[in-house]
Amino acid sequence: MRARRQLGYSLLEVIISMTIFGTFLAIAFALTAEMRMWERRLPVNFMRHPQIISVVARMRRDVQDVVLVGNNALYLDAHDGYVMGPKVLILQTGLETGSQIIVWDLSESGVVRRVSYNVGVKSVWTAHGVPPEFTAGAKLEAVEFPGRPYGVRLIAKDSHGLVSLDQILQPRSYE
Amino acid sequence: MLPMRDERGFTLVEVLAALLILTFVITSSLWAFLERNKRLQQASEIMLAYQALANEAEYVRRHDFANLGSYGDTFKSGPMLLAPLDDYETAIAVDLVKPGVKNVTMTIRWHHKEREARLGVIRVDTGGGSLF
Repeated sequence: MRARRQLGYSLLEVIISMTIFGTFLAIAFALTAEMRMWERRLPVNFMRHPQIISVVARMRRDVQDVVLVGNNALYLDAHDGYVMGPKVLILQTGLETGSQIIVWDLSESGVVRRVSYNVGVKSVWTAHGVPPEFTAGAKLEAVEFPGRPYGVRLIAKDSHGLVSLDQILQPRSYE
Repeated sequence: MLPMRDERGFTLVEVLAALLILTFVITSSLWAFLERNKRLQQASEIMLAYQALANEAEYVRRHDFANLGSYGDTFKSGPMLLAPLDDYETAIAVDLVKPGVKNVTMTIRWHHKEREARLGVIRVDTGGGSLF
């Protein structure tokens, strides 16, 4: 009986093709692993995040506009249930029509709130979509300059415990 | 005996040419990937460096005009931000441009002094009045 002529690839051809394909796969996996390793070496840069940038910009302007409250204090200890602390900043800013009290609240995961109280009217600006590691590691501190009013320092650490954001905000100087 | 099959394949030159192209593609992909990582890392480092410079500028702005010359090279805003930069050093140069005006230049060098970020502040003598 005569063997039928069968079209197709031989075992050797298939093995070689699979080997080449496997090599490509291995390269792709190696590159991906390398990329992840490199990206882990540096902290996530919060200064690239649009929500965080807007939070920092608005907070900077509020601290610049801060005005004296009674007893020569620039910041309030408490207001409307909020208590000043590492996650809460309470200040009073000047307006053309008077002043307003502003509370910055970083205590909720992934959300930053700016609550303003102007002549009894409360309005809230909320930054949604903030990375949870930002609010988890964010800390507000007082920063002292000799002979000058206290400033505010916003420090945030990423999930690896490395400082990724460190901003010093100062009240505006005026006579 | 079966007749010899007519086997057609690639010549050695064709195979070598294919391998050459493959090698070129893989090498250029790898190079592009490594270059991307390098530039990404540089960008992150530069952002950290300029945050540190901006913070230090706040201290420089508040420093006594008369004593600026003795400010020193160490950043008063602290080294936290600069920790990820390898082998970094800071320098602060104060130049008297004309009476009552000083240029303060803050510099951070890192990565064996190959990378540098710099920020300048112009200070003017306001007479030391008690600004708010």
